[in-house]
Amino acid sequence: MPLTNLLSELGILPLRAIAFQTLLLMLAIVLEAMVLRQQLRLGYRTSMQYAATLNLLATSLGWVAFLALEAVLPLSLRSQVISYVLFNRFYLNGWREVLPVVVVVTAIAAFFVTYWIKLQGLTWLQQLLGQQPIDTNPQPVEINRRQRYEWARQGQRRGQADGQQGSSPRALAVLQANAASFTAILVLLLLVNQAGVIGW
Amino acid sequence: MVAWLTQTLEMLKAVLLPPRYFAWQTVIYMSLFSWLMSLLARTVEAMAFTVGLLATISWICLALGVGWALEANKIRPFGVSIAPWVSGAILCLFLFGSWGGRWLQPALVSWPLVSFAVVAAPKLVSWDFNLKDPPGQVRQQLALLFCLSLLFSSWFQFYFRIQTWVRDYPSLVADSVENSAFVYRFPGQTVALPAGVNHLTVAEEMLREQVHNKPWPSVERWLLNLDGQRQAMERQVKSHMGLDPSLEDSLWRIDFQPLSNGNGYILKLWAIWSGPAANQSGYYLEKSCLLMPVSQGSLGAPEAAVPEASAPEAAAPGYATTQWGSLTCDLATPRQAGHPRDIQRTG
Repeated sequence: MPLTNLLSELGILPLRAIAFQTLLLMLAIVLEAMVLRQQLRLGYRTSMQYAATLNLLATSLGWVAFLALEAVLPLSLRSQVISYVLFNRFYLNGWREVLPVVVVVTAIAAFFVTYWIKLQGLTWLQQLLGQQPIDTNPQPVEINRRQRYEWARQGQRRGQADGQQGSSPRALAVLQANAASFTAILVLLLLVNQAGVIGW
Repeated sequence: MVAWLTQTLEMLKAVLLPPRYFAWQTVIYMSLFSWLMSLLARTVEAMAFTVGLLATISWICLALGVGWALEANKIRPFGVSIAPWVSGAILCLFLFGSWGGRWLQPALVSWPLVSFAVVAAPKLVSWDFNLKDPPGQVRQQLALLFCLSLLFSSWFQFYFRIQTWVRDYPSLVADSVENSAFVYRFPGQTVALPAGVNHLTVAEEMLREQVHNKPWPSVERWLLNLDGQRQAMERQVKSHMGLDPSLEDSLWRIDFQPLSNGNGYILKLWAIWSGPAANQSGYYLEKSCLLMPVSQGSLGAPEAAVPEASAPEAAAPGYATTQWGSLTCDLATPRQAGHPRDIQRTG
């Protein structure tokens, strides 16, 4: 049977990862598009395109980071990664005790790195499309000394005064979008792992 | 019949002879012509550069022509334009196929990116090699497509990374990946045996050397120093692994335990896997051997097989009453969950 031979030649395929990631990506894109559309007053199509581009960018950069990091991990930690990917559980070795901490720290780091990538990605994307960055309250270009003192007294950061990021509506919108998609993905992952809802 | 033949010929003619010169058939013909020329150049032993150049032109024309043909004939399964993907595949075949060895990995990993380049190039570069400035909507699409092709490329890379793991830890494929959230193995494949089976065979050979056809008192003495024998067995198996080293070697442990059984013993040989496993408590392979004292008469056949070992002993007095060790091992190495020592402690 040639087909069976071909399949056994291919061996273990990451099909579930692909299917699951497609599902999660669609969920994240829809959620983020909703948030971006509400917060930034974008059109339906534009917000969808932005969300899709940003999420695909973050995901593929995440893959690149994972593949690069995995190659340089110490062997004992690497075999834990293998165990998790192939068998969905960690096995007993020197890392077993600290792994929950490692996972949680990695997840939190992933959240902030993803946020940064998405914010940067949005800036790049709008520059690429030749649009003005969407800021509903544009910062004044010239800031006089008095105003600056005022801000310093109020304890606000200079980042806002520089008019780039800080708490501009765009940064807030991306943060909310990221939080929404991460929460949804986390809930879905917990459901699947707890109850085996989908049966795998 | 004749009508059908003429009809077929007409159709063939329509396909083979394009209505205009600016058509995909022309490009395919150029590719064929260039390929024939490169063959010709090879037969007349032209410079390698000439042959290579002609072959390169042939490949590029083939990629262009096939892409054009797919696009012109509106071959779009599920509404997705596959032309750039096919062109990209042909280009990757050309770029990496001549590498030999493991060319499939770079070819597959770069396939989505090359396909993206095939899509992007005509939109970014005009015919006279000047950079074009495409409208915003096109730029947005290109950015999206680039991220998507990077994702596809990562998936291929992930597949090859899994294959690397399997090469490094061959026993992993012997386990079930049913619980995985990442990978899937099509059912109905013959699953390889874990490497522990080989280790058990080596251990059995060593055991046979030590106790088989040896006087029973010396067998008993051998069994007294259990810890020493375990270490010797471990060393033996390790040195055997050294012939074909693998990252997983340090994850296998060899152990054995004699259990008394009437006059003799049942020896349990274990290859214990302490690496990643589908089962919560890991697994081990078990080989049971029966070690019995046998008096000379019943030894019979094995005695004939090793005459040089027994010949000097035959002259010794009291030979007929001496008992000899006889080892018989099961061929099967059933796989058990957990750790053998734990089971002994509890049961």
